[in-house]
Amino acid sequence: MGLDYQLVLWNKYKKAYDKIIIISMLLYIILFAAITLIFNSETTIETLVIRAFGSLAIIMLNIILIIGPLARLNSNFLPILYNRRHLGVSMFIAAFIHGGFSIFQFHALGDVNPIYSIFTSNMDYNSLTNFPFQVLGFIALLILFAMASTSHDFFLGNLSAKVWKRLHMMVYFAYALIIAHMFLGAFQQETSPLTIGIMTIGFFTVASLHLITAFKEQKIDSMKMEEQEGWLKVCTISEIEEDRAKIFTVKNQRVAVFKYNGKLSAIHNVCKHQGGPLGEGKIIDGCITCPWHGYQYLPSNGQSPPPFTEKVATYQLKLEGDMIYINPEAFDEGTEVEPCNY
Amino acid sequence: MEIIINIFLLILSVYFIIGLLFGFYFLFRGASKIDPLMENTKTKVRFLLFPGVVVTWPFLIGRLFKSKTP
Ligand code: HEM
Ligand code: FES
Repeated sequence: MGLDYQLVLWNKYKKAYDKIIIISMLLYIILFAAITLIFNSETTIETLVIRAFGSLAIIMLNIILIIGPLARLNSNFLPILYNRRHLGVSMFIAAFIHGGFSIFQFHALGDVNPIYSIFTSNMDYNSLTNFPFQVLGFIALLILFAMASTSHDFFLGNLSAKVWKRLHMMVYFAYALIIAHMFLGAFQQETSPLTIGIMTIGFFTVASLHLITAFKEQKIDSMKMEEQEGWLKVCTISEIEEDRAKIFTVKNQRVAVFKYNGKLSAIHNVCKHQGGPLGEGKIIDGCITCPWHGYQYLPSNGQSPPPFTEKVATYQLKLEGDMIYINPEAFDEGTEVEPCNY
Repeated sequence: MEIIINIFLLILSVYFIIGLLFGFYFLFRGASKIDPLMENTKTKVRFLLFPGVVVTWPFLIGRLFKSKTP
Protein backbone atom coordinates (compact mmCIF):
# COMPACT_ATOMS: atom_id res chain seq x y z
CA MET A 1 0.00 0.00 0.00
CA GLY A 2 1.34 3.46 -0.86
CA LEU A 3 1.56 6.42 1.46
CA ASP A 4 -0.89 8.54 -0.45
CA TYR A 5 -3.91 7.97 -2.65
CA GLN A 6 -3.39 7.68 -6.40
CA LEU A 7 -5.88 8.49 -9.13
CA VAL A 8 -6.01 4.82 -10.02
CA LEU A 9 -3.88 1.92 -8.84
CA TRP A 10 -2.83 0.88 -12.30
CA ASN A 11 -1.55 -2.44 -13.41
CA LYS A 12 -1.18 -3.69 -16.95
CA TYR A 13 -4.40 -5.69 -16.85
CA LYS A 14 -6.46 -2.72 -15.80
CA LYS A 15 -5.06 -0.68 -18.68
CA ALA A 16 -5.86 -3.44 -21.14
CA TYR A 17 -9.39 -3.79 -19.76
CA ASP A 18 -9.94 -0.07 -19.95
CA LYS A 19 -8.87 -0.01 -23.57
CA ILE A 20 -11.34 -2.78 -24.32
CA ILE A 21 -14.09 -0.89 -22.52
CA ILE A 22 -13.47 2.38 -24.37
CA ILE A 23 -13.08 0.78 -27.80
CA SER A 24 -16.23 -1.31 -27.35
CA MET A 25 -18.20 1.76 -26.29
CA LEU A 26 -17.02 3.74 -29.31
CA LEU A 27 -17.76 0.84 -31.66
CA TYR A 28 -21.25 0.51 -30.25
CA ILE A 29 -21.99 4.21 -30.70
CA ILE A 30 -20.68 4.21 -34.28
CA LEU A 31 -22.60 1.06 -35.14
CA PHE A 32 -25.77 2.38 -33.55
CA ALA A 33 -25.46 5.65 -35.46
CA ALA A 34 -24.82 3.89 -38.76
CA ILE A 35 -27.76 1.51 -38.39
CA THR A 36 -30.13 4.27 -37.30
CA LEU A 37 -29.13 6.53 -40.15
CA ILE A 38 -29.54 3.76 -42.70
CA PHE A 39 -33.00 2.70 -41.55
CA ASN A 40 -34.29 5.98 -40.26
CA SER A 41 -32.45 8.78 -42.00
CA GLU A 42 -34.67 11.54 -40.60
CA THR A 43 -33.46 10.99 -37.04
CA THR A 44 -31.98 14.18 -35.64
CA ILE A 45 -28.52 14.12 -34.17
CA GLU A 46 -29.81 14.86 -30.65
CA THR A 47 -32.26 11.97 -30.73
CA LEU A 48 -29.49 9.77 -32.07
CA VAL A 49 -27.16 10.68 -29.23
CA ILE A 50 -29.90 10.21 -26.64
CA ARG A 51 -30.83 6.78 -27.93
CA ALA A 52 -27.30 5.57 -28.56
CA PHE A 53 -26.04 6.46 -25.09
CA GLY A 54 -29.23 5.42 -23.28
CA SER A 55 -29.15 1.96 -24.80
CA LEU A 56 -25.37 1.72 -24.31
CA ALA A 57 -25.80 2.54 -20.61
CA ILE A 58 -28.44 -0.10 -20.01
CA ILE A 59 -26.47 -2.75 -21.91
CA MET A 60 -23.42 -1.97 -19.79
CA LEU A 61 -25.50 -2.08 -16.63
CA ASN A 62 -26.79 -5.50 -17.60
CA ILE A 63 -23.24 -6.71 -18.13
CA ILE A 64 -22.15 -5.27 -14.79
CA LEU A 65 -24.96 -7.05 -12.95
CA ILE A 66 -24.25 -10.32 -14.73
CA ILE A 67 -20.52 -10.37 -13.87
CA GLY A 68 -21.13 -10.97 -10.16
CA PRO A 69 -23.11 -14.19 -10.45
CA LEU A 70 -21.10 -15.36 -13.48
CA ALA A 71 -17.87 -15.13 -11.49
CA ARG A 72 -19.44 -17.16 -8.70
CA LEU A 73 -20.58 -19.86 -11.11
CA ASN A 74 -17.34 -19.99 -13.10
CA SER A 75 -14.06 -18.66 -11.82
CA ASN A 76 -12.81 -17.84 -15.32
CA PHE A 77 -14.82 -14.65 -15.04
CA LEU A 78 -13.00 -13.50 -11.91
CA PRO A 79 -10.57 -11.14 -13.73
CA ILE A 80 -13.53 -9.16 -15.09
CA LEU A 81 -14.99 -8.98 -11.59
CA TYR A 82 -11.80 -7.37 -10.31
CA ASN A 83 -12.12 -4.73 -13.02
CA ARG A 84 -15.82 -4.07 -12.66
CA ARG A 85 -15.24 -0.68 -11.07
CA HIS A 86 -14.13 1.05 -14.24
CA LEU A 87 -16.98 -0.52 -16.14
CA GLY A 88 -19.33 1.04 -13.62
CA VAL A 89 -17.84 4.50 -13.94
CA SER A 90 -17.91 4.27 -17.77
CA MET A 91 -21.55 3.20 -17.60
CA PHE A 92 -22.35 6.25 -15.49
CA ILE A 93 -20.67 8.51 -18.07
CA ALA A 94 -22.76 6.97 -20.85
CA ALA A 95 -25.93 7.41 -18.77
CA PHE A 96 -24.92 10.97 -17.96
CA ILE A 97 -24.49 11.87 -21.64
CA HIS A 98 -27.91 10.35 -22.35
CA GLY A 99 -29.58 12.18 -19.48
CA GLY A 100 -27.73 15.41 -20.18
CA PHE A 101 -28.74 15.45 -23.83
CA SER A 102 -32.35 14.61 -22.96
CA ILE A 103 -32.51 17.47 -20.50
CA PHE A 104 -30.90 19.75 -23.04
CA GLN A 105 -33.27 18.77 -25.81
CA PHE A 106 -36.54 18.55 -23.92
CA HIS A 107 -36.19 20.67 -20.82
CA ALA A 108 -33.62 23.42 -21.23
CA LEU A 109 -35.32 25.55 -23.85
CA GLY A 110 -38.12 27.04 -21.77
CA ASP A 111 -37.64 29.56 -19.00
CA VAL A 112 -38.18 26.99 -16.23
CA ASN A 113 -35.18 25.51 -14.47
CA PRO A 114 -34.41 22.34 -16.50
CA ILE A 115 -34.35 20.02 -13.47
CA TYR A 116 -37.66 21.47 -12.28
CA SER A 117 -38.96 20.97 -15.80
CA ILE A 118 -38.16 17.22 -15.74
CA PHE A 119 -40.57 16.88 -12.84
CA THR A 120 -43.27 19.29 -13.93
CA SER A 121 -43.42 19.42 -17.74
CA ASN A 122 -45.65 16.39 -17.65
CA MET A 123 -47.83 16.12 -14.54
CA ASP A 124 -49.52 12.86 -15.52
CA TYR A 125 -48.22 10.98 -12.48
CA ASN A 126 -51.40 8.92 -12.27
CA SER A 127 -51.21 7.64 -15.78
CA LEU A 128 -49.40 4.49 -16.83
CA THR A 129 -49.12 5.18 -20.53
CA ASN A 130 -48.19 8.83 -20.19
CA PHE A 131 -46.16 8.71 -16.97
CA PRO A 132 -43.29 11.24 -16.78
CA PHE A 133 -40.71 8.48 -17.19
CA GLN A 134 -37.87 11.02 -17.25
CA VAL A 135 -38.30 11.42 -13.49
CA LEU A 136 -37.41 7.75 -13.00
CA GLY A 137 -34.34 8.16 -15.20
CA PHE A 138 -33.30 11.22 -13.23
CA ILE A 139 -33.50 9.47 -9.86
CA ALA A 140 -31.64 6.47 -11.27
CA LEU A 141 -28.97 8.81 -12.58
CA LEU A 142 -28.57 10.35 -9.12
CA ILE A 143 -27.98 6.90 -7.66
CA LEU A 144 -25.50 5.99 -10.38
CA PHE A 145 -23.72 9.28 -9.71
CA ALA A 146 -23.48 8.51 -6.00
CA MET A 147 -21.96 5.13 -6.83
CA ALA A 148 -19.55 6.27 -9.52
CA SER A 149 -18.29 9.18 -7.44
CA THR A 150 -17.60 6.99 -4.41
CA SER A 151 -15.90 4.15 -6.25
CA HIS A 152 -12.41 5.23 -5.18
CA ASP A 153 -10.74 3.27 -2.36
CA PHE A 154 -10.74 6.42 -0.24
CA PHE A 155 -14.50 6.07 0.25
CA LEU A 156 -14.34 2.36 0.93
CA GLY A 157 -12.16 3.09 3.93
CA ASN A 158 -13.69 6.33 5.12
CA LEU A 159 -17.40 5.63 4.74
CA SER A 160 -16.96 2.26 6.48
CA ALA A 161 -17.53 -0.91 4.52
CA LYS A 162 -21.13 -1.16 5.70
CA VAL A 163 -22.24 2.24 4.42
CA TRP A 164 -20.32 1.79 1.18
CA LYS A 165 -21.83 -1.59 0.56
CA ARG A 166 -25.36 -0.32 1.23
CA LEU A 167 -24.81 2.56 -1.14
CA HIS A 168 -23.61 0.22 -3.86
CA MET A 169 -26.44 -2.26 -3.31
CA MET A 170 -28.73 0.54 -4.44
CA VAL A 171 -27.71 -0.38 -7.97
CA TYR A 172 -30.58 -2.85 -7.91
CA PHE A 173 -33.03 -0.09 -7.08
CA ALA A 174 -31.54 2.03 -9.86
CA TYR A 175 -31.86 -0.92 -12.22
CA ALA A 176 -35.56 -1.26 -11.40
CA LEU A 177 -36.07 2.47 -11.97
CA ILE A 178 -34.32 2.29 -15.33
CA ILE A 179 -36.37 -0.69 -16.48
CA ALA A 180 -39.50 1.28 -15.62
CA HIS A 181 -38.01 4.36 -17.31
CA MET A 182 -37.49 2.39 -20.51
CA PHE A 183 -40.81 0.63 -20.63
CA LEU A 184 -42.91 3.63 -19.68
CA GLY A 185 -40.87 5.73 -22.11
CA ALA A 186 -41.28 3.22 -24.89
CA PHE A 187 -45.07 3.68 -24.80
CA GLN A 188 -44.58 7.31 -25.70
CA GLN A 189 -41.61 7.29 -28.06
CA GLU A 190 -41.37 5.09 -31.13
CA THR A 191 -38.72 2.84 -29.59
CA SER A 192 -37.81 -0.03 -31.87
CA PRO A 193 -38.94 -3.55 -30.93
CA LEU A 194 -35.29 -4.58 -31.20
CA THR A 195 -34.31 -2.29 -28.30
CA ILE A 196 -37.16 -3.61 -26.18
CA GLY A 197 -36.20 -7.17 -27.11
CA ILE A 198 -32.57 -6.73 -26.11
CA MET A 199 -33.56 -5.10 -22.81
CA THR A 200 -36.04 -7.88 -22.01
CA ILE A 201 -33.43 -10.55 -22.67
CA GLY A 202 -30.97 -8.60 -20.53
CA PHE A 203 -33.41 -8.41 -17.67
CA PHE A 204 -34.20 -12.11 -17.71
CA THR A 205 -30.52 -13.02 -17.91
CA VAL A 206 -29.72 -10.86 -14.89
CA ALA A 207 -32.65 -12.20 -12.90
CA SER A 208 -32.08 -15.87 -13.71
CA LEU A 209 -28.34 -15.78 -13.02
CA HIS A 210 -29.00 -14.21 -9.64
CA LEU A 211 -31.58 -16.89 -8.89
CA ILE A 212 -29.23 -19.69 -9.94
CA THR A 213 -26.44 -18.47 -7.64
CA ALA A 214 -28.87 -17.97 -4.78
CA PHE A 215 -30.14 -21.50 -5.30
CA LYS A 216 -26.61 -22.89 -5.37
CA GLU A 217 -25.75 -21.18 -2.09
CA GLN A 218 -28.94 -22.43 -0.55
CA LYS A 219 -27.87 -25.92 -1.53
CA ILE A 220 -24.51 -25.49 0.21
CA ASP A 221 -26.26 -24.27 3.33
CA SER A 222 -28.81 -27.04 3.50
CA MET A 223 -26.33 -29.83 2.78
CA LYS A 224 -26.31 -32.40 5.59
CA MET A 225 -22.90 -33.59 6.71
CA GLU A 226 -22.29 -36.94 8.37
CA GLU A 227 -21.06 -36.72 11.91
CA GLN A 228 -18.49 -39.01 13.47
CA GLU A 229 -17.39 -38.51 17.08
CA GLY A 230 -17.71 -34.74 16.85
CA TRP A 231 -16.03 -34.50 13.44
CA LEU A 232 -17.97 -33.72 10.29
CA LYS A 233 -17.29 -35.53 7.04
CA VAL A 234 -16.35 -32.97 4.39
CA CYS A 235 -15.35 -34.58 1.09
CA THR A 236 -12.47 -36.48 -0.49
CA ILE A 237 -9.18 -34.79 -1.36
CA SER A 238 -9.70 -35.22 -5.07
CA GLU A 239 -12.98 -33.29 -4.99
CA ILE A 240 -11.05 -30.08 -4.33
CA GLU A 241 -9.00 -28.50 -7.11
CA GLU A 242 -5.36 -27.56 -6.49
CA ASP A 243 -4.99 -24.01 -5.09
CA ARG A 244 -8.75 -23.71 -4.69
CA ALA A 245 -11.36 -24.47 -2.09
CA LYS A 246 -14.73 -26.03 -1.53
CA ILE A 247 -17.23 -24.26 0.69
CA PHE A 248 -19.21 -26.03 3.42
CA THR A 249 -21.56 -24.90 6.12
CA VAL A 250 -20.74 -26.05 9.63
CA LYS A 251 -22.74 -24.74 12.58
CA ASN A 252 -24.38 -22.18 10.29
CA GLN A 253 -20.99 -20.73 9.34
CA ARG A 254 -19.56 -21.03 5.86
CA VAL A 255 -16.11 -22.56 5.87
CA ALA A 256 -13.64 -22.82 2.98
CA VAL A 257 -11.42 -25.89 2.78
CA PHE A 258 -8.32 -25.13 0.68
CA LYS A 259 -5.97 -27.55 -1.05
CA TYR A 260 -2.46 -26.39 -1.93
CA ASN A 261 1.05 -27.79 -2.11
CA GLY A 262 0.06 -31.17 -0.71
CA LYS A 263 -1.65 -29.50 2.25
CA LEU A 264 -5.19 -28.79 3.42
CA SER A 265 -6.38 -25.86 5.55
CA ALA A 266 -9.79 -24.56 6.54
CA ILE A 267 -10.76 -20.98 7.32
CA HIS A 268 -13.96 -19.00 7.78
CA ASN A 269 -15.30 -18.15 4.34
CA VAL A 270 -16.05 -14.48 5.02
CA CYS A 271 -13.49 -11.83 4.03
CA LYS A 272 -12.86 -9.13 6.64
CA HIS A 273 -12.92 -6.44 4.01
CA GLN A 274 -16.49 -6.59 2.80
CA GLY A 275 -17.57 -10.13 3.36
CA GLY A 276 -16.34 -11.54 0.04
CA PRO A 277 -16.45 -15.35 -0.33
CA LEU A 278 -12.85 -16.39 0.31
CA GLY A 279 -13.55 -19.95 -0.78
CA GLU A 280 -14.29 -18.72 -4.28
CA GLY A 281 -10.85 -17.18 -4.49
CA LYS A 282 -7.52 -18.78 -5.34
CA ILE A 283 -4.23 -19.32 -3.57
CA ILE A 284 -1.83 -16.77 -5.07
CA ASP A 285 1.79 -16.53 -3.85
CA GLY A 286 0.92 -18.82 -0.98
CA CYS A 287 -1.99 -16.67 0.21
CA ILE A 288 -5.72 -17.16 -0.01
CA THR A 289 -6.77 -14.23 -2.19
CA CYS A 290 -10.28 -12.83 -1.91
CA PRO A 291 -12.08 -12.83 -5.27
CA TRP A 292 -13.68 -9.46 -4.64
CA HIS A 293 -10.85 -7.02 -4.01
CA GLY A 294 -7.81 -9.16 -3.46
CA TYR A 295 -7.28 -9.11 0.32
CA GLN A 296 -4.93 -11.94 1.28
CA TYR A 297 -4.78 -14.42 4.14
CA LEU A 298 -2.29 -17.13 5.05
CA PRO A 299 -4.08 -20.50 4.93
CA SER A 300 -2.41 -21.87 8.05
CA ASN A 301 -3.47 -19.08 10.43
CA GLY A 302 -6.06 -16.92 8.65
CA GLN A 303 -3.93 -13.80 9.10
CA SER A 304 -3.18 -11.21 6.45
CA PRO A 305 0.56 -11.05 5.85
CA PRO A 306 2.23 -8.02 7.51
CA PRO A 307 1.84 -5.03 7.41
CA PHE A 308 -1.87 -5.89 7.24
CA THR A 309 -3.74 -6.93 10.35
CA GLU A 310 -6.94 -8.67 9.19
CA LYS A 311 -7.65 -12.06 10.77
CA VAL A 312 -10.28 -14.70 10.13
CA ALA A 313 -11.21 -17.77 12.14
CA THR A 314 -9.47 -21.08 11.41
CA TYR A 315 -10.64 -24.70 11.72
CA GLN A 316 -8.99 -28.02 12.49
CA LEU A 317 -9.05 -30.66 9.75
CA LYS A 318 -8.11 -34.33 9.86
CA LEU A 319 -7.66 -37.00 7.24
CA GLU A 320 -8.78 -40.61 7.30
CA GLY A 321 -7.47 -42.19 4.16
CA ASP A 322 -8.79 -40.02 1.39
CA MET A 323 -11.62 -38.48 3.40
CA ILE A 324 -11.38 -35.02 4.96
CA TYR A 325 -13.04 -34.35 8.32
CA ILE A 326 -13.54 -30.99 10.03
CA ASN A 327 -13.95 -30.05 13.67
CA PRO A 328 -17.02 -27.78 13.65
CA GLU A 329 -15.69 -25.68 16.53
CA ALA A 330 -13.94 -22.59 15.12
CA PHE A 331 -10.68 -21.41 16.64
CA ASP A 332 -10.24 -17.73 17.50
CA GLU A 333 -9.45 -15.49 14.56
CA GLY A 334 -5.84 -15.80 13.48
CA THR A 335 -5.10 -19.03 15.39
CA GLU A 336 -2.23 -21.02 13.89
CA VAL A 337 -3.37 -24.52 12.82
CA GLU A 338 -1.00 -27.16 11.50
CA PRO A 339 -2.21 -27.89 7.93
CA CYS A 340 -3.11 -31.50 7.06
CA ASN A 341 -0.45 -33.08 4.87
CA TYR A 342 -1.47 -35.70 2.35
CA MET B 1 -48.05 16.73 -6.35
CA GLU B 2 -46.38 20.04 -7.05
CA ILE B 3 -45.77 20.54 -3.34
CA ILE B 4 -44.04 17.18 -3.06
CA ILE B 5 -41.88 17.95 -6.09
CA ASN B 6 -40.94 21.34 -4.67
CA ILE B 7 -40.00 19.92 -1.29
CA PHE B 8 -38.02 17.11 -2.88
CA LEU B 9 -36.06 19.44 -5.14
CA LEU B 10 -35.50 21.91 -2.32
CA ILE B 11 -34.04 19.22 -0.08
CA LEU B 12 -31.95 17.95 -2.98
CA SER B 13 -30.47 21.36 -3.74
CA VAL B 14 -29.79 22.19 -0.09
CA TYR B 15 -28.10 18.80 0.27
CA PHE B 16 -25.83 19.48 -2.70
CA ILE B 17 -25.03 23.05 -1.69
CA ILE B 18 -23.94 21.98 1.79
CA GLY B 19 -22.00 19.17 0.13
CA LEU B 20 -20.20 21.60 -2.17
CA LEU B 21 -19.19 23.87 0.70
CA PHE B 22 -18.18 20.99 2.93
CA GLY B 23 -16.29 19.36 0.05
CA PHE B 24 -13.70 22.10 -0.22
CA TYR B 25 -13.10 22.25 3.52
CA PHE B 26 -12.96 18.47 3.85
CA LEU B 27 -10.63 17.66 0.98
CA PHE B 28 -8.12 20.39 1.72
CA ARG B 29 -8.30 20.35 5.54
CA GLY B 30 -10.54 17.82 7.26
CA ALA B 31 -9.74 14.63 5.39
CA SER B 32 -6.20 14.28 6.69
CA LYS B 33 -7.59 14.29 10.23
CA ILE B 34 -9.49 11.06 9.68
CA ASP B 35 -7.23 9.46 7.07
CA PRO B 36 -3.43 9.80 7.38
CA LEU B 37 -3.07 8.71 3.74
CA MET B 38 -4.64 12.02 2.69
CA GLU B 39 -1.75 14.07 4.01
CA ASN B 40 0.50 13.49 1.00
CA THR B 41 -2.27 13.09 -1.55
CA LYS B 42 -1.92 15.23 -4.67
CA THR B 43 -4.36 17.96 -5.64
CA LYS B 44 -5.65 16.18 -8.74
CA VAL B 45 -6.62 13.15 -6.65
CA ARG B 46 -8.44 15.49 -4.26
CA PHE B 47 -10.50 16.80 -7.16
CA LEU B 48 -11.29 13.26 -8.25
CA LEU B 49 -12.63 12.60 -4.75
CA PHE B 50 -14.61 15.83 -4.70
CA PRO B 51 -17.93 14.64 -6.21
CA GLY B 52 -18.03 11.68 -3.87
CA VAL B 53 -17.57 13.94 -0.85
CA VAL B 54 -20.41 16.15 -2.08
CA VAL B 55 -22.65 13.06 -2.19
CA THR B 56 -21.64 11.48 1.12
CA TRP B 57 -20.97 14.50 3.32
CA PRO B 58 -23.36 13.50 6.16
CA PHE B 59 -21.31 10.35 6.79
CA LEU B 60 -17.97 12.13 6.55
CA ILE B 61 -19.05 14.95 8.88
CA GLY B 62 -19.98 12.31 11.44
CA ARG B 63 -16.51 10.82 11.19
CA LEU B 64 -14.85 14.21 11.57
CA PHE B 65 -16.72 14.88 14.80
CA LYS B 66 -15.88 11.46 16.16
CA SER B 67 -12.19 12.01 15.46
CA LYS B 68 -12.19 15.27 17.41
CA THR B 69 -13.72 13.84 20.59
CA PRO B 70 -11.91 10.58 21.09
C1 HEM C 1 -31.83 12.75 -16.19
C2 HEM C 1 -32.07 11.54 -16.45
C3 HEM C 1 -32.73 11.00 -17.70
C4 HEM C 1 -33.55 11.61 -18.62
C5 HEM C 1 -34.06 13.05 -18.62
C6 HEM C 1 -33.86 10.63 -19.63
C7 HEM C 1 -34.68 10.84 -20.73
C8 HEM C 1 -35.00 9.89 -21.68
C9 HEM C 1 -35.81 10.13 -22.83
C10 HEM C 1 -36.42 11.47 -23.20
C11 HEM C 1 -35.91 8.96 -23.52
C12 HEM C 1 -36.65 8.69 -24.82
C13 HEM C 1 -35.67 8.85 -25.94
C14 HEM C 1 -36.26 8.55 -27.28
O1 HEM C 1 -36.70 7.42 -27.49
O2 HEM C 1 -36.26 9.45 -28.11
C15 HEM C 1 -35.17 7.96 -22.79
C16 HEM C 1 -35.03 6.65 -23.19
C17 HEM C 1 -34.17 5.75 -22.59
N1 HEM C 1 -33.42 5.96 -21.44
FE1 HEM C 1 -33.30 7.70 -20.37
N2 HEM C 1 -33.22 9.45 -19.30
C18 HEM C 1 -32.53 9.64 -18.14
C19 HEM C 1 -31.73 8.71 -17.47
C20 HEM C 1 -31.49 7.42 -17.93
C21 HEM C 1 -30.59 6.49 -17.31
C22 HEM C 1 -29.80 6.74 -16.02
C23 HEM C 1 -30.58 5.35 -18.08
C24 HEM C 1 -29.83 4.05 -17.95
C25 HEM C 1 -28.70 3.81 -17.42
C26 HEM C 1 -31.49 5.56 -19.17
C27 HEM C 1 -31.76 4.64 -20.15
C28 HEM C 1 -32.66 4.83 -21.20
C29 HEM C 1 -32.92 3.85 -22.22
C30 HEM C 1 -32.27 2.48 -22.33
C31 HEM C 1 -33.87 4.42 -23.07
C32 HEM C 1 -34.46 3.78 -24.33
C33 HEM C 1 -33.55 4.13 -25.46
C34 HEM C 1 -34.18 4.05 -26.79
O3 HEM C 1 -35.28 4.61 -26.96
O4 HEM C 1 -33.58 3.45 -27.68
N3 HEM C 1 -32.02 6.84 -19.05
N4 HEM C 1 -34.61 8.56 -21.68
S1 FES D 1 -14.37 -8.44 0.25
FE1 FES D 1 -13.01 -6.96 -0.51
S2 FES D 1 -11.20 -8.14 -0.56
FE2 FES D 1 -12.55 -9.53 0.27
